[in-house]
Amino acid sequence: MPADLNMKILVVDDMATMRRIVKNILKQLGFANVEEAENGQEGLQKLRADTFGFVVSDWNMPVMTGIDMLRAIRADDKLRTIPVLMVTAEAQQANLVEAIQAGVSNYIVKPFTAETMQEKLGKIFK
Amino acid sequence: MRERASSWIAKGEPVQQNGHQLYEELGELARFVEKAMRTISEISAPIVSGSAGLPMASSHLVDLNKMTEEGTLEVMRLTEKIQDNRGRVVKELAAVAETLKAVDCTTLSMRVQSVAADLAQDDKCLTEIMTALSFQDLVAQRVKKLVAILDDVRDKLVELVVVFGIPHDADGIAATGKTGEMLKQLEESKTTSMKQNVADDILAQYGFK
Repeated sequence: MPADLNMKILVVDDMATMRRIVKNILKQLGFANVEEAENGQEGLQKLRADTFGFVVSDWNMPVMTGIDMLRAIRADDKLRTIPVLMVTAEAQQANLVEAIQAGVSNYIVKPFTAETMQEKLGKIFK
Repeated sequence: MRERASSWIAKGEPVQQNGHQLYEELGELARFVEKAMRTISEISAPIVSGSAGLPMASSHLVDLNKMTEEGTLEVMRLTEKIQDNRGRVVKELAAVAETLKAVDCTTLSMRVQSVAADLAQDDKCLTEIMTALSFQDLVAQRVKKLVAILDDVRDKLVELVVVFGIPHDADGIAATGKTGEMLKQLEESKTTSMKQNVADDILAQYGFK
């Protein structure tokens, strides 16, 4: 299914700079409907309160980590089908395997380029 | 020592001789204790001043994070402003090119289109500037880990001063407990972190195509 440019996207990261970078890349790719959350808990609240088509999340965050939020999303009947892309500096192989087992849709290692983000989006929404 | 005294008594050695040996042993012990106390008092001062300086070091690192974040956000703000302005200019140029084409100024129209194409090429550079700024996030994460390590070391030093039991092996402090674990994580993130191509290989093994 190709990506709907009007779909609502949630960017979850505790660092304002990273949220802005991801938002900027998404904007360049034509996705203008982007919302932000500072941690997994806030992300989950927003996901449950609205309809989102895609989630981009960091791993290391205070209050609730990205991997815990991913597990919560996959355990929630209403949210389980939302594609989740992890963009993280947690670049140990064990982290990636853990994310795959938790149901991640794809995984980007920081630092990354706009091309990588575009390629991953293409794979998720093919 | 008590065992040795019991052993002398059990062997039935003369009390005077036992007393002399015991006196020598106690003297040796007293000299050892005195030396240890002197060492502790010599080491305590630098430890106290060192542990007092650590919060300042942590504070500097936190400030460093704030400064890099502020600087990065400002560069981002300006980059986004340029991106938006260029977006508007490219749209305007496209409209001008269409108008020129409609009034049969083909050459001028093509030149305007060429300018618009040149501008569009710079868009990629601006996006790369934005993504390059992700260094701030990576630096901030490392700095946070360092601050946590410094805080932990400070707590340990204060504890050592309080209980007066200063270990002789300074490396032992860093290699054990929470500090050791955090240093290990920091070191691992430096040496064994994956590149995107390795991550992609693993993803492919799990059926991600």
